[in-house]
Amino acid sequence: MTSNKTNYLKSIGHYHPPTQDTEDKFFGNQLTYLCWENHLMYCAPFCVPLPPSLPFGALVRDVLPMLYGEHPEFEQIDWQRVRWSDSDSVFMPDFGKSLKNHGLGHKSLIRFITPALEGSRNHIDTQTQAF
Amino acid sequence: MDIPVKKKKKLGLKPRYAVMTRGLSWDTSYQPMEKVFPYDEFEGIKIHDWDKWEDPFRLTMEAYWKYQGEKDKKLYAVIDAFAQNNGHLGVSDARYVNALKLFIQGVSPLEYYAHRGFAHAGRHFTGAGVRVAAQMQSIDELRHYQTQAHTISHYNKYFNGMHDNIYWFDRVWYLSVPKSFFEDAYSGGPFEFLTAISFSFEYLLTNLLFVPFMSGAAHNGDMATVTFGFSAQSDESRHMTLGIECIKFMLEQDPANVPIIQRWMDKWFWRGYRLLTLVAMMQDYMLPKRVMSWKEAWEMYAESNGGALFKDLARYGIREPKGWKDACEGKDHISHQAWGTFYQYSHVAAMHTWVPNADEMEWLSEKYPQSFDRHYKSRLDHWGGMQKRDERWFNQHLPMLCQICQVPMMFTEPGDATKICFRETLFEDQKYHFCSDHCKEIFEHEPRKYVQAWLPVHQIYQGSCFPDDINPESPGDSPVREVLRYYGIKGGQDNGDFDASQDRKNFDQWLGKKPTKGA
Repeated sequence: MTSNKTNYLKSIGHYHPPTQDTEDKFFGNQLTYLCWENHLMYCAPFCVPLPPSLPFGALVRDVLPMLYGEHPEFEQIDWQRVRWSDSDSVFMPDFGKSLKNHGLGHKSLIRFITPALEGSRNHIDTQTQAF
Repeated sequence: MDIPVKKKKKLGLKPRYAVMTRGLSWDTSYQPMEKVFPYDEFEGIKIHDWDKWEDPFRLTMEAYWKYQGEKDKKLYAVIDAFAQNNGHLGVSDARYVNALKLFIQGVSPLEYYAHRGFAHAGRHFTGAGVRVAAQMQSIDELRHYQTQAHTISHYNKYFNGMHDNIYWFDRVWYLSVPKSFFEDAYSGGPFEFLTAISFSFEYLLTNLLFVPFMSGAAHNGDMATVTFGFSAQSDESRHMTLGIECIKFMLEQDPANVPIIQRWMDKWFWRGYRLLTLVAMMQDYMLPKRVMSWKEAWEMYAESNGGALFKDLARYGIREPKGWKDACEGKDHISHQAWGTFYQYSHVAAMHTWVPNADEMEWLSEKYPQSFDRHYKSRLDHWGGMQKRDERWFNQHLPMLCQICQVPMMFTEPGDATKICFRETLFEDQKYHFCSDHCKEIFEHEPRKYVQAWLPVHQIYQGSCFPDDINPESPGDSPVREVLRYYGIKGGQDNGDFDASQDRKNFDQWLGKKPTKGA
């Protein structure tokens, strides 16, 4: 009978299952989650494997258009005005520096808000598309 | 030669039941009882008197075989007649068959899991009464799997996407939602298992699963499915009785059981509710002839029935599950969010999706006055517009999943349907992400159990979901194609848009309709 704090689960005997998604299993990449806030045409945020050395500028230039480029508002994004956060904490990216330099590690969640491009917040009463 | 036989009086129903169930049990003497029944203590549930258990079924094995045999005879006669009369031609519209695909892929394998789970519980409780009940339910569940497989096999001859449900269940991304739900339940102890399945699922939520599917079948001309539903119904009511009996028994045995059971109810209500997202979507989007909206079903079966139940349980110190209010708020949203997800990922699923037609959109607006026009209609209009320009949109990149329910992170913040709901926690220096406070809480209570979760998206990136001839590190120009090959799903045939499907083309031909655009 085992129910100990160090095991962090209730089990009948000692049971220590391995952690499934450690960073070493992704061929040198880290999992990165990306969310363009309020743009719910994409049902959920994305999960992509990226090299930790990827410059933030390359994320914006290459990765985001690939993921979100089909949204009608994407072309209009003014990247200078975008507000970024790492989970809930806001940060100012340096486009020349890598994800790692920004402290964005394995399974980080990068969220970005595009002021004036409101996606699902657009109002249905004004006949703008809200998604 | 005549030996006079003294005619014994036949036992009455009640003593006969007692002799043929509990009467067959004994206390072990070569080994101590706690070594023979090791599983019913480690969860912390205290039982002082197993004799206080009220048997919910009052059914001997002999009577059980008789009843089930009769039901099977009727069911198989209907299945035969359905096949001989080409019953599949009588369904409302070939889109309906996708609801059956969802059922055979995502629900029927759970019947088999339930069979295994109850067989385990039926071995491991010390009390003979509950062992008998669990064993009978175990046999019911196996029968349910079989009747469903046999009924739906008729459709499998004529439609795509139903030929390999068990293989898919262990592999395909959206099926990890029901799979992980049940594996979580049956890897718990027997008391948690009964709370999870018998109480939270069967007693509290089962009407939300069976009523929509079975009345959906009736409304859409699928008599075969209606019949297996009826054939399972009397079993389901026994299962519900077991659920409530088990809860009351545990609560009455020791006050120390109350907080443990409350936590399990919090957990399993929420896990069951998340699983039912698939039913919500089916009900609002996949039935060409609709029965009632998910919202109406939720209000009827969960809010009023469930509300009364928790009032009744209050005398034991039990309150409604923590996620209750969030679940009630979600009734306006989850079906639309789920359909949006399947719509954009249906090129990697084993079913077809479509944009609802004008009448259906109107119905959705009417049934969801607070949410549909405001949040969901314009994205469907946009997709419909793309489709008209022959640019049917599929999302080509993989979504982030919740660590617990494994549903793509599509649920929005309670109170704000324009914002994805994110929760996260840190365990042993690794981040874990969740769709809700309640999934996060489940993780934080037993993190070690969930760090091993097999999340389909992460597994694809680890290279675990490619056929053997593929180098996982560089799967070539179309990793999605290779993943489908690994799943055993034929892209464009088993999935994609309904308009362009073989299912639609065939169905139109069988009914003598002219092929329409797209087909």
